Amino acid sequence: MRRFVRDNALSLFFLGLFALALAGQSVAGTAAYNDRQLAEGGAPVSWAGYVTSSDFAVDVAENWQSEYLQFLLFILATVWWVQRGSPESKKPGKEGPESDADQQVGPHARPDGPAWARATDLRQTLYGNSLGLVMGLVFLLSWLAQSVAGLAAWNSERLSRLQDPLSWWGYVTSADFWNRTLQNWQSEFLAVLSMVVLSVYLRQRGSPESKPVGAPHRATDVEG
Amino acid sequence: MRTRVILATAVALAAGAASAGCASADREPARSAAESFYAAVTAGQGGRACALLAPEAAASLRSGGQGCEQAVLELDLPGGAPGGAEVWGDEALVRLARDTVFLHRFPQGWLVRAAGCRPRGALPYSCEVEG
Repeated sequence: MRRFVRDNALSLFFLGLFALALAGQSVAGTAAYNDRQLAEGGAPVSWAGYVTSSDFAVDVAENWQSEYLQFLLFILATVWWVQRGSPESKKPGKEGPESDADQQVGPHARPDGPAWARATDLRQTLYGNSLGLVMGLVFLLSWLAQSVAGLAAWNSERLSRLQDPLSWWGYVTSADFWNRTLQNWQSEFLAVLSMVVLSVYLRQRGSPESKPVGAPHRATDVEG
Repeated sequence: MRTRVILATAVALAAGAASAGCASADREPARSAAESFYAAVTAGQGGRACALLAPEAAASLRSGGQGCEQAVLELDLPGGAPGGAEVWGDEALVRLARDTVFLHRFPQGWLVRAAGCRPRGALPYSCEVEG
């Protein structure tokens, strides 16, 4: 048990933070929602009513989709583009999907490597892109969830303002949908940019996200 | 395993959000509340009509010593046969042949938030009573 916790401490730490933050969001969100309800002459809802509402779902989904998009783009962009000096980047000259020998696939696979890496058919292609495929799929599903939950939340708000509700297509081409989407995207892209550029010049001793403290600024693909 | 959990959660989120938005079973009670309100007004039962109004809407009709019971019977509410209804969260819209009604779901059921409403393009509906 102790060994399991030590071996998985990083995942467990973030799982715990995720659960706490989601719980906190649900409590603060219920209070904020009921504040608005009372101000508009409506009836307050319970915590259970709020966490099963479209308002909660859209707030969760819009953040999920942007996080998964961020990692998807980071995973794919770092295949083809480099940033000299950044520990997040490959060495200049190694752009692209690399050779089978570099990637240890097909005849170059290690005996203890994943079974699908040894395959020479579609399974190798699928497994070789599985991280991007799954991140991309979760991004699309979360974005779809945002559009459906956002439609319900936006139409509820429109009805309370005595306006006609919109269709799904009307919503996904509306200012509300793109405002929610782009305000999340811009912050994610800025965070990635900051990580890529700042890690060229700044260090965090002991972190694999940083170069070793004494590594030169021009050293690329070196993790501390 | 974790991937499957994330996928299942995203699908559940989408499905839950969809069902929260398009609850067809909720349309009938909302339509029925709108019909009851118009029936009370047509029958000259101001007290019963006011009991079907949301508190803010009922309060908006009380002015100059006149109570809601009298004021509600003087409104221009052409009504007519009920048509389509839409429910989104705790809000509903019921279209009648000659005007539109907006309702809100309270713990005691659907109450009329605005009635005698006519569209104004992209602007909010203009209503005889609203609150």
